Parts: sequence; structure tokens; C-alpha cells
Amino acid sequence: MTKPRVAIFDFACCEGCQLQIVNLEEEILDLINVVDVVEWREAMSEQSHEYDIALIEGSITRPEDEKRIEIIRSRCKILIALGSCATIGGINKLKNKFDLEEVKHCVYGKDAHMPHLETGMTKAVHEVVNVDYKIHGCPIDRKEFASVIRALLVGKKPVIPDYPVCVECKARENICRYEYNEICLGPIIRAGCGARCPSNGFRCFGCRGYVDNPNVEAAREVMDKYGLTVEDLRQKMVLFGCGQGPTV
Amino acid sequence: MSVSKLSKEQFGQFVDAMLAADRKVIGVVAKDDRFQFDELQSASALRLDYDVTILPPKKYVLPQIEPLLQFEVGGGAQSVMNYEPMILLGVHPYDLVAIRQMDELFSQGEYDKHYMDRRKQITIIACDIARPSKNIFASSMETAVVSDGYDILITDIGDAYLLDVATEKGHALMSYAKALAPAAAADIEKRQAIQEANRTGLNKHKLACKPSYLPKLMEKAYNHPVWLEKARLCFSCGSCNQVCPTCYCFDVQDQVNWDLKTGQRVRCWDGCLLENFATVAGDHNFRKDRASRFRHRLYRKAKYVPEKIGGQIACVGCGRCITACVADIANPVTIYNRLMEEQNLG
Repeated sequence: MTKPRVAIFDFACCEGCQLQIVNLEEEILDLINVVDVVEWREAMSEQSHEYDIALIEGSITRPEDEKRIEIIRSRCKILIALGSCATIGGINKLKNKFDLEEVKHCVYGKDAHMPHLETGMTKAVHEVVNVDYKIHGCPIDRKEFASVIRALLVGKKPVIPDYPVCVECKARENICRYEYNEICLGPIIRAGCGARCPSNGFRCFGCRGYVDNPNVEAAREVMDKYGLTVEDLRQKMVLFGCGQGPTV
Repeated sequence: MSVSKLSKEQFGQFVDAMLAADRKVIGVVAKDDRFQFDELQSASALRLDYDVTILPPKKYVLPQIEPLLQFEVGGGAQSVMNYEPMILLGVHPYDLVAIRQMDELFSQGEYDKHYMDRRKQITIIACDIARPSKNIFASSMETAVVSDGYDILITDIGDAYLLDVATEKGHALMSYAKALAPAAAADIEKRQAIQEANRTGLNKHKLACKPSYLPKLMEKAYNHPVWLEKARLCFSCGSCNQVCPTCYCFDVQDQVNWDLKTGQRVRCWDGCLLENFATVAGDHNFRKDRASRFRHRLYRKAKYVPEKIGGQIACVGCGRCITACVADIANPVTIYNRLMEEQNLG
């Protein structure tokens, strides 16, 4: 059996998700045993135009990026969005809330109008091309990444959770942040992270995006019960929640 | 049946003796300002004065993730069954009732060898409730006190523990206890007084009927507006399922190893409130609405499970779901009482 050819590409991102693949450490040898990695800028110098699976990190922010992702799409059989920037637009989408000129000046100052900095509104990958699978998170969970890849290689549909973080948070026997009258986005955010943030004393920041059918109405209505306001909730939702589905 | 007495110090020595003999003891320990069952390292960490644990002891009877078998793609499979003996120490009566219900459910019909083999290795030292939790309603559910189902039952009578040793498994552990004295008549009276107080006093939410009436109550409640009203605020987060001592539904998944030839089949907790709980092949979901899932949980506790186990109600009144529900809609007593009221009106 010939090994599937895999290429890894990055767009607007911090490359932290690719780093999670590198962080597979010895397991990376298992990975390259079963796939041929033919392009991966962060880890190798070779390039290729022929690949079966494309892994896309980052969101789409420039006109030339749209063209590039369309070409990648046309070359691969399976396209996987990797990490929050790719799956939901990530924190890059924050800029969509502001005037673009203002944002450019704020970030780049006098260089704001250099041609390579010409950016538009941030888009998640699926807002430009068809995405077959999404591996969520900021950054991705490398164990989840590995299990999705293995499932695809044996022709199985990968299991990607569509239930809230609360499931994994309860499993770890964390005390609910709401019991301390603190906002946590767990009840409306997709699990798969093992409730990492709540297990380490933080709230859920929402990096994996909403579950397919989030009860945002309930999130708003419970604020009162905990002495919180809808504005508090809105502020917490904005970091990863800009322009992805319902809002409060 | 024999009731013995150990001073609190001697009881600590009894627990430490089990640990020193390399017995695996799962006990109740503090987690911040709450409690959880965890592997005990020393008797000093044990908190038999706890009110309620975040998760019930079901996590040891039916683990959250459990390998069932190892397989070879296109080849054979081998069951994974190596269960080590374990002592569950400090199980409250309501949780004991829940475990006994699971014992019945997993042994009837399709006998679940994984569950039953593990269960047979577990010795349960139950303990009478010393402190009510904020949402307990075990008195309403008639599960605040138990008279059987445990291997040993301990009761804190102030300066000492009374140990009611009920089974062979229980007796076997008593070899670790030194200075065991028979309980005096006055001690037994103290124990009775504690149990009598618990029988009626652990009732932060009062069910308006006998639990045995619930299956009948549910017969006419299927299309009641309460399901829609409550479920409007349901996150479908399954917290009520996770913390419930009687929820035992599980999902089964196959995981393949990096050689792409071998793998394992695991089962993991599922929850009927979760959006895709009832999704089957072809992506058909026969319980798509929040309200139908919300209703299912209450029906299961009050009607479907009781039909399988001789009328026992599958809600034991621990109150964990009430505490766990961020939207505050999970309280079974509120719902059953509402149905009672409107039934009486009709």
C-alpha cells in the first residue's frame, strides 16, 4: 500500500498548532511511518504540489491567501482545518469588529500600507473553501490530532466531540466556575480539550468554538442567577467568538 | 449480623493496616472545599464527615473510560479483563442503592461480564451520612438509610465508629482491625437514633408523593408543557447525567494504534441529555429536541428503569444534579411535584 501524501500549510496564525504536531515527539516517527509528509514549512525544506491530505493552520486574511487556499483545495482529496484560526477564525477575527484602517495603523504604524500587509476581513477556512474535517483548539490537542489522523488512515470517520466542555470538566471532578459565580464558556463550547483550562483554575475561554447547537439564550438568561450581566458574558465571548454563529 | 465498635483512633489504624497490606482503598477525600472519591494514601486523608462527593463512586464500578477488548483489524479480538480487588470506603446509603441497582441492571438480560467481574472484586464499606449536603433529598426517595447491600456499614457515634459487618467479604477485612469490641446496647441505640434522624431528616427538597407512585404519575405526563418550559434553558451539557449515581449509559468506540493493524474497543460514559446521544447510523437523531432529551432523563428515573428492576426508582435523592446544573432546571423534585400538583387539579 502506498502511503498517503500529507502536506501542512500555514496562513494567518502563530504556528502553535504545527508545533503541537512537532511536540508529538517520538510519536512523530509513528506518524511518518504511515504517511509521507511532502511539504511542511515549519519542519522541512522540501515542497510538493501532489498530496492527498492537506492540513491547514491559520485563518484567511489576504486576497492572495484566498487564491492559495483554493489551489490547495483543488490539489487535495481531504482538507483538514487545524486549530482555532482555521476552524473558527480564532482571535484573528477580533479585527473584524473594528475599522480596518484603524486596525492596520494600530498594528503596523507607518508601514500600514506596505503591499504585503494589505489585509481584508478575517475568514475561517470553511468560509473560503470546503473543509472536510476540523481539529479544534488553541492550540490543537496533539492526542486528538493523532487519533483523527489514524481514524482517517483506516477509513473511519474521526470522532470529533459535539458536546460542551462541561462533559469533560465534570469527568475531571472540577468544581464548576459558576459555583463561584464566575462566567465560564464551557456550557456552550465544544469539548475535546479535556477541560484543560477549568482543570487548571481558569474558566473556559471558548477556543474550540461553539458546539453545533449552542444554547446561547440559556447562557444569557443564567447570568442573573449568578449576579452577572449579559455585558460580562459578551466580553468573555468576544476573544474567540467573533463572527462565528450566535452571539448575545 | 454483628455490630462491633472501634474508637476513631483504632479505626484509623484499621484503614492504615489495609493500606500497609497493599490493599487498594478508595476513600472520600477533600477537593478544595468539596469532596471526591480517590485512592487513599493514608487514613489521615479520609473524610467520613463529608456531605456529598462531586462524582458518585460509580466511577470505580463503571469507569469513565474502560477498554473492553484488543482487536486486530480483519483478525481476532481478546477481551480485556483484569480487575484488581478494591475497597470502596465511605459510600453513602443513596450511592449504595444506586450501585445495587446497577448490579441488577448489568446482570439481567445480556449479562455484562466486564461490569460484573469488576464488581465482584469490590468490597463496599458504606457509611451513614454524618452531614447533609445542600441539595440532598434522600429521605424523600427512601434511600437515606440502608439495611443491606453493603459488606460493612459504619456509623459515626461521636467518639467511635460502629461497624456492622454483613458479608464474608466484610468479615475478611476485619482481620486488619485490632481491639475490636462488640457494640454495647447504648451504642446500638445511638446508631438507631442517627439512622432514624437520617431516615426523615435528609430532605432539602420534599417529594410530594411516595417514590413508588412515580411510575404511575409518569403515565399521563408525556405531553406535559413542563418539558418544553424547562428544556428551553437546557445547555445539553449532560452534567446531570455525569454526576448521577444511577446514569450508566455508555458509548463504545474503536481506537486504532499507529500500526493501523491493532487497536482497542473502549466504552466511555455517555449522557442522554447530549445532543448526539440518540444519533444512529446515517446520522439520524431520534431525540433531536432538547425537550425530548430532557424528558427522557426524568422518565428513565421514574418509569423506564423501575420497570426493569421491580419498581425501584432510579433517582436516589443525592441532589448532585441540582448542584451541577448551571441553568438550575434539573431538580427532579420540582418537576415531579409540578406534575403531582397539576394531576391533582385535573
